[in-house]
Amino acid sequence: MQIRDYVLRRLLILPFLIFLTSIIVFTLSRAGGSPIGIYLSHEMTQDEVEELEDRFHLNDPLPVQYVYWAGGVLRGDLGWSGVAAAPVAEVFPKKLTATIELAVFAALLAVYMGIKLGTFAGARRNRLADHVARVFAISGASLPLFWFGIILLIVFWVTLGWVSIGRSDAVVFARIAHPTGFYTIDALLAGDLGAFVDALWHLALPVVTLAFSTTAIILRMMRSSLVEELGEEYVDAARAKGLPERLVLRRHARRNALIPTVTVIGLSFGFLLQGTIVVEVIYRWPGLGRWMADAVLRGDRATIMAYVLFTSVMFLIVNLVVDAAYAYLDRRVVLGE
Amino acid sequence: MTNGTGGNRAPSRGAGDRGRGGAGWRRSLSLLFALGLVLAACTGGDDGDADPAPDGDGGAQVRNPDVIVHAADDEPLSLDPAQAEPGEGGESVILQVYERLVEFSPSGPELEPGLATEVPSDDNGMISEDGLTYTFPIREGVSFHDGSPLTADDVKYSWDRVLEMDLPEANAGLLADIITETNAVDESTFEVTLNQPNAAFLNSVVTQSVASVVSEEVVEANGGITAGEPNEFLQTNPIGTGPYRFTAWNRGENMLFEVNEEYWGEPASLDLRFEIVSDPDVRVLGLRAGDYDSIETDPSFVGDVEGAEGVEVFAGEYLLEPIHIGMNLNIPEGALPPEDTIPTDFFHDPRVRQAFNYAFDYQGFIDGALGGFGAPVPHYFPQGVLGYDESMPVYEQDLARAEELFREAGWWDEGFTISVITEEANLFEVGGLVLKDSLEGLNENFRVRVLAVAEAQFDEAHAQDPLEYAMWVKNADPYADPHAFMRDYIHPDGPWGQIHGFANGYEDPDQIASMIDDASTTTDPDERVEIYGQLAEILFEDPMWIIAGNETALNAHRDWLQGFVMNPLWPRPSLKFALYDK
Repeated sequence: MQIRDYVLRRLLILPFLIFLTSIIVFTLSRAGGSPIGIYLSHEMTQDEVEELEDRFHLNDPLPVQYVYWAGGVLRGDLGWSGVAAAPVAEVFPKKLTATIELAVFAALLAVYMGIKLGTFAGARRNRLADHVARVFAISGASLPLFWFGIILLIVFWVTLGWVSIGRSDAVVFARIAHPTGFYTIDALLAGDLGAFVDALWHLALPVVTLAFSTTAIILRMMRSSLVEELGEEYVDAARAKGLPERLVLRRHARRNALIPTVTVIGLSFGFLLQGTIVVEVIYRWPGLGRWMADAVLRGDRATIMAYVLFTSVMFLIVNLVVDAAYAYLDRRVVLGE
Repeated sequence: MTNGTGGNRAPSRGAGDRGRGGAGWRRSLSLLFALGLVLAACTGGDDGDADPAPDGDGGAQVRNPDVIVHAADDEPLSLDPAQAEPGEGGESVILQVYERLVEFSPSGPELEPGLATEVPSDDNGMISEDGLTYTFPIREGVSFHDGSPLTADDVKYSWDRVLEMDLPEANAGLLADIITETNAVDESTFEVTLNQPNAAFLNSVVTQSVASVVSEEVVEANGGITAGEPNEFLQTNPIGTGPYRFTAWNRGENMLFEVNEEYWGEPASLDLRFEIVSDPDVRVLGLRAGDYDSIETDPSFVGDVEGAEGVEVFAGEYLLEPIHIGMNLNIPEGALPPEDTIPTDFFHDPRVRQAFNYAFDYQGFIDGALGGFGAPVPHYFPQGVLGYDESMPVYEQDLARAEELFREAGWWDEGFTISVITEEANLFEVGGLVLKDSLEGLNENFRVRVLAVAEAQFDEAHAQDPLEYAMWVKNADPYADPHAFMRDYIHPDGPWGQIHGFANGYEDPDQIASMIDDASTTTDPDERVEIYGQLAEILFEDPMWIIAGNETALNAHRDWLQGFVMNPLWPRPSLKFALYDK
């Protein structure tokens, strides 16, 4: 079937899948005990606790609680975040823009470098460049993010003093308006080059940390699938035709090698999201990941549910895009039935 | 064509390599390289710090010369004195922005005038003969940050407001329990009448955050007072008389303060910024990088900063929040976790309570969890409060004595299983684990289950009355006066006395109650010290807690910070930044 019809069909199923995921996670979140804890303070009496429980419907049966929550979501009310001391719906967009800025730069870097280096390595199979690339890939997949991040901080922040922590310098932050929440875009909108550079400079280390493992995975996949493609008969045919190696690679082999790589890119989106949690905590990035780490550790169910909802939507959409990309890259792929 | 395997589809990578003879050494090389990386990763991991990197930038150059940057570990919930919880982040802000009638001087428990021009005492006649009425002359020419002048009416308004709002989290009880009347005699005189003489009034009530003075004008213009309800404006907009003016709160990021140029006293030299950094590793790195001038310091990572270039660690007096383990004498039937085998009157027997106290490894806790920065505490007098005396009896681990007592009480052969609930991933969990270790090491029939749960869950359990757990680990709320500790943690009719049912266990609860009451109503410090000395002896035989230890007040800061002073009697982090310079 046409790509367009396929995409439409997948989009129609999307709400149902989200609904299912939310039920599962909602039930699991309640399995860990009452979510009332985050709303308590040390001095509250038993009566006050009970009053709060009534207010949040925590004494009702689980399906009823779910209905209250789902109803709230549809009205745009995602509950109160104990961690942020504000309604979830209010805080979410701000944190989201911070994480998207980080994740987009990291994803772009990872995809670009992964494909570039993977192609480079695959085309020079078993030569030095290939071995170096493979070591890079192994270390990327093995080095723990938090360790790598802290090492970078020790070197570039403490020892060299080149970078600072957080999303922007306090003085620079106060200098410009932030309509979009994307500091790079805000700086460009304000015409403030200094702020733009400041935003990029603060992005540098977190992006590198986050992109490192994702790059490694993409690189690995790209390299091995390219190696396979280069062994195919059509490559010999193209070379026999007299095509320069550059074109053989770019126009033929790489395009086909991209197919499995695109799957990996889609999957590594999940790794990227996980990675943001650690990277944001280390670099004090005020994004979803750090908010979520606090929420999970402190039992802030409302925030957790909102995040799960968000990530499931994101994941489903990304995989839809991946599937559609297949059809574009490989004419043999037929979507749907 | 150099494709070694000819026109065939390349099989697995391995076969291709082997087919090419001399490629073997390249593989070994990359393996060696990888091995090297792995080794570097392994040896780097141990103490949270990789190999000691030479501190390039630290030394001479002062970073951020116009502002003092302090890295706090958590964010306040409320900046309203009538709502901020004792020991919680909001108090640090209140300390810089608001003021009280009387304050602790930087050097110790002595009181100095704040918004009052003199500290009331028997000598200057500002305490009435019957000890019930205190008169405070109010300083003239003081204004709030919005420009409005300070008068005695504002003081009366501030305290009445706390009483009317009566928010549980703020410890409104501190004022409510003893004040019968507040009175603004005239613009510059404020009078308070108590319901009974109270020696701790000045140092435990008037100096506390909850007694800070807010502006009547500001509050009335922004929501006024509603009984039982917080005031949203004051939660995020503190407007006081202090040396710092609050300018911005970027949630999760930082809080900004500006110097108050019109301050009545010695003005601050530099602006202030609190960075909110919950990760201790990042705080340490920031301090070493010079981006933070002072950081919230915990014994657990003090080792990482000691000796670092440009960093000084201040280890002063003790914090007034001993870490303790509660023993419940009021366990409801059937409430304990099913694994617990103890009867509900387990702790009624003083021998059992003594045995637990003898079994606990205090030195292990202090050396381990507190990194050596701590001391054991007599029941219940933390070092630094009036009445504390080095000669007071203190429990030390004595396993032989513990065994003797358990045998006498009849638990030795039978053994028992008991659960202790604690917050996870902090000192309290370690306290629980030390208890477990101590008891289980003593007798293999003793079993201690440490239930380490998220803070939110712990708070929920902790709020129960009656409590459904036999034991729990937490720290005491910090107080300046011994009476507060006696009232909260020892008195049979006090809050914990009631919840834990102390009356079920004390040999003579009435005697203890009357001794505590007497010590609190007399204003003669010598008399108080004598009574407390006697109490310490009695409580040693009849302990209601296991006191794991008391933390040393610690602060790691850059050596370019001048005028550094820290007083644990000030709310955490016990620093008044207006006193510092760079």
